[in-house]
Amino acid sequence: MRIIVDVGDMKVSKNGDELVTHALGSCLGLTVWDPVAKVGGLLHAMLPLSKINPEKAEENPYMFVDTGVPALFRAFYQLGGKKERAVIKAAGCGAPLGDDRIFKIGERNLVVLKKLLWKNNLLLAAEDTGGIQSRTLYFDISSGTVIIQTSGNKRVL
Amino acid sequence: MITKEKLERLKRELPSPPQNALKILNVLKDPDSGAEEVEEILRYDPGLTADVLKMANSAYFGFPNRIGSVKQAVVLLGWKKISDLVMVSCMNSVMDRGVEGYDLEKGELWRHSVAVSVTSEVLAQELGIKGIDEIFTASLLHDIGKVLLGMEVKEQIKNPNLFFEGSQSFDSVEKEYLGLDHAEAGAEILSMWGLPERTINAVRFHHKPDESPYADNMLDIIHISDTLCIMLGFTAGKEGLKYHPSSNAAKRLALSQLTMEKAASYTKEKMNQLLNV
Repeated sequence: MRIIVDVGDMKVSKNGDELVTHALGSCLGLTVWDPVAKVGGLLHAMLPLSKINPEKAEENPYMFVDTGVPALFRAFYQLGGKKERAVIKAAGCGAPLGDDRIFKIGERNLVVLKKLLWKNNLLLAAEDTGGIQSRTLYFDISSGTVIIQTSGNKRVL
Repeated sequence: MITKEKLERLKRELPSPPQNALKILNVLKDPDSGAEEVEEILRYDPGLTADVLKMANSAYFGFPNRIGSVKQAVVLLGWKKISDLVMVSCMNSVMDRGVEGYDLEKGELWRHSVAVSVTSEVLAQELGIKGIDEIFTASLLHDIGKVLLGMEVKEQIKNPNLFFEGSQSFDSVEKEYLGLDHAEAGAEILSMWGLPERTINAVRFHHKPDESPYADNMLDIIHISDTLCIMLGFTAGKEGLKYHPSSNAAKRLALSQLTMEKAASYTKEKMNQLLNV
């Protein structure tokens, strides 16, 4: 079954399913997969830090990287995923043209993710981040394959 | 290239907005008009009235008790807010469609337009900027030019890859290939419909606020909201993030990163509240 993950949302699933998220601009798309248990999850987080709106984070932790990533892992563990087998991939975190810091939400999303992973002794297996393209991400839970599509071009991550 | 004659023809081919949308726009322009005129327009259109009341009763406004009549809605929300809702209801028929040349599926342009409208309102509120009643409607209509240009993109652009995949800002690509960008095309449409000058100007310069003949905080807010929605996945097109946001617009608004991100954190919820009625 194909399951769409909306902006500011997260889904975990099991063997046979495909998780898809569209329009990854400066948002972070993060996948986690267990090749033995054949379970995985996909997060589409919009903003780096929940402290800008704690009430909103309470209501929807997936909106923010700092609350969304732990929530993704909790759901992944609950489904039978194991930390030591977790294969983690990141995509998105792009930016519009120009170099004004204020519009670099994507970079800030990536920095917060990397800090979180580092603190938890986790590493990214692959990433396709930055740039001015909007990405669509396809995550096949059976094989763990993550495909990134940017207008017409598809590549395996 | 789109010649002057061609542009006139395309404008005529556009689906026209419902009569009541145009009537509401006239009420908004006329300083002597107001609540009575809005109620009068709604009185003869039960479908529109039902739609407006549905939105007025939505979680977007969050009133604890049901609003049962237009009169009551006008008292609680003010007639200008009611006119915004009339615009949402009326423009839906023009903008909630697919735009082929831009590969926009049905609903995408509309979703982006509503997202920018609610984000603009939140930003204005967070920044404490008042007196810009037109901001909701101007935001809602900012990309309407895509509906017009879409027809031509499909006809004229033989190699969409070159059109969509370069690394220049997308409005300049449109200008190079078609002679005008979607912001200018939008301004042409809105002046044909007789919208207020400030709204037309905000639509015309929504990607280049620094080139506006006068500084306008409404324009700057729409520019920032549009940028945010494009970045955060409430997008409207294949061009991705290929726009050049203005640092000066952010400076003119004294916008901080915190305020900007906080405003963005409300976009999804508010957009859904208005879309799902």
